[in-house]
Amino acid sequence: MYITQISPRDSRAMKQVEALLARTGLTLDGHLDYTCGVFDEDENLVATGSAFGVTLRCFAVDPDHQGEGLLNQVITHLVEMQTRRGNLHLFVYTKPASAKFFRDLGFYPIAEVPGLLTFLENRRTGFSDYLKSLSASGGAGEAGETAAIVMNANPFTLGHRWLIETAARESRTVHLFVLSEDYGPIPASVRLRLVRDGVADLPNVVVHETGPYLISRATFPGYFLKSEEKILRTQAQLDTALFVQIAKTLGITVRCVGHEPHSLVTALYNDVLSEALPAHGIRCRIIRRLHTADDRVISASTVRQAIHDGCLDSVADMLPETTLSFFRSPEATPIIAAIRAESDVVHY
Amino acid sequence: MEIRKPASAGTLESSDAMVTVEPGTGIELSLTSSVMNQYGRQIKKTVLETLERLDVKDAKVTVVDKGALDCTIKARVECAVFRSCDKSENNIDWGGVIR
Repeated sequence: MYITQISPRDSRAMKQVEALLARTGLTLDGHLDYTCGVFDEDENLVATGSAFGVTLRCFAVDPDHQGEGLLNQVITHLVEMQTRRGNLHLFVYTKPASAKFFRDLGFYPIAEVPGLLTFLENRRTGFSDYLKSLSASGGAGEAGETAAIVMNANPFTLGHRWLIETAARESRTVHLFVLSEDYGPIPASVRLRLVRDGVADLPNVVVHETGPYLISRATFPGYFLKSEEKILRTQAQLDTALFVQIAKTLGITVRCVGHEPHSLVTALYNDVLSEALPAHGIRCRIIRRLHTADDRVISASTVRQAIHDGCLDSVADMLPETTLSFFRSPEATPIIAAIRAESDVVHY
Repeated sequence: MEIRKPASAGTLESSDAMVTVEPGTGIELSLTSSVMNQYGRQIKKTVLETLERLDVKDAKVTVVDKGALDCTIKARVECAVFRSCDKSENNIDWGGVIR
């Protein structure tokens, strides 16, 4: 037996990967940037595992070869590959029934959606260190209503600004979490900077990065869940479980989300939040969305589409001065080029 | 020896251990072992002794042990440390700190 990387262009091996996953009730995740496999003497695939960014996913071991320590070889291979890439802090999303295998390999559970999903990392104190870093970043422990908002801000619009302003007016402190994950043409560092610039004048808003703990819906690995809706619900439930821990650390009493009239996906996410949070003593407040003067809904995807179509001016009334001047600056040229090169900029 | 960059050595296969070292302040050891109850203390002692012999004062060390013998643990720690300061290619101090 030997273990080797499998190129996505090696269609024969990739077919074997898909077949092996199917035998264990899984499908191939759409987001993978590395795949490896263990082959026997007859070139049959007997175990496989993949990675995307700092996550490990899509593991399967041939049922006839279980108990031979093949998963250990696969994880060893993937961890070595990640070390070469410089990624030491790794994450696994898996079925709770499989979590014990990963616990034996140095992974620690962070949160669980009972019966559906366990989220693990290979740092014993990873999440608790993150929580500590949050409370050190200020705003914790004060009296009065403390609100939280989580956003992609891809990029930061007047709609985001409106949501934050509304929350800031009604609360003592607003903890604003910006997704740290890098995906799509606008880099996370730019998204974060535009948020910081855009709320700089609001003294009671504290901006945080989500770190690796809350990930984008776009790259959430749902390959082991049965249906699209189940994937969405499960991610929302996992986010809720993680958020509750964050909320406890920072004394957050209300989570503000933007009302979502158009996207079923976001509406479903908001549904799960508003069902689950009250049980933990957190209110879920849905804030009406802001429209432009001529009654168009302000949304980041509309802005990305406009940039893609080369008509930034048509959405100038959706953007705060800070975001607008960034996209008009020479610094934004490569980002605009990247947005224009994408075929679909709406769905991230 | 100074840990300059993250490095790892070993595997997760039975009777081996995977050791990862990263820059840190002081020695911070995180140990997972399939034989934690029986040999946890012994493994910890071996790791710390090896680091001391290599004169490593500051490092974040992660050990995932799958029932490795002391000599294996020693070798994996040494290798990870040497890799972390690019000494694994040459200048290995055979008979010196490595014995």
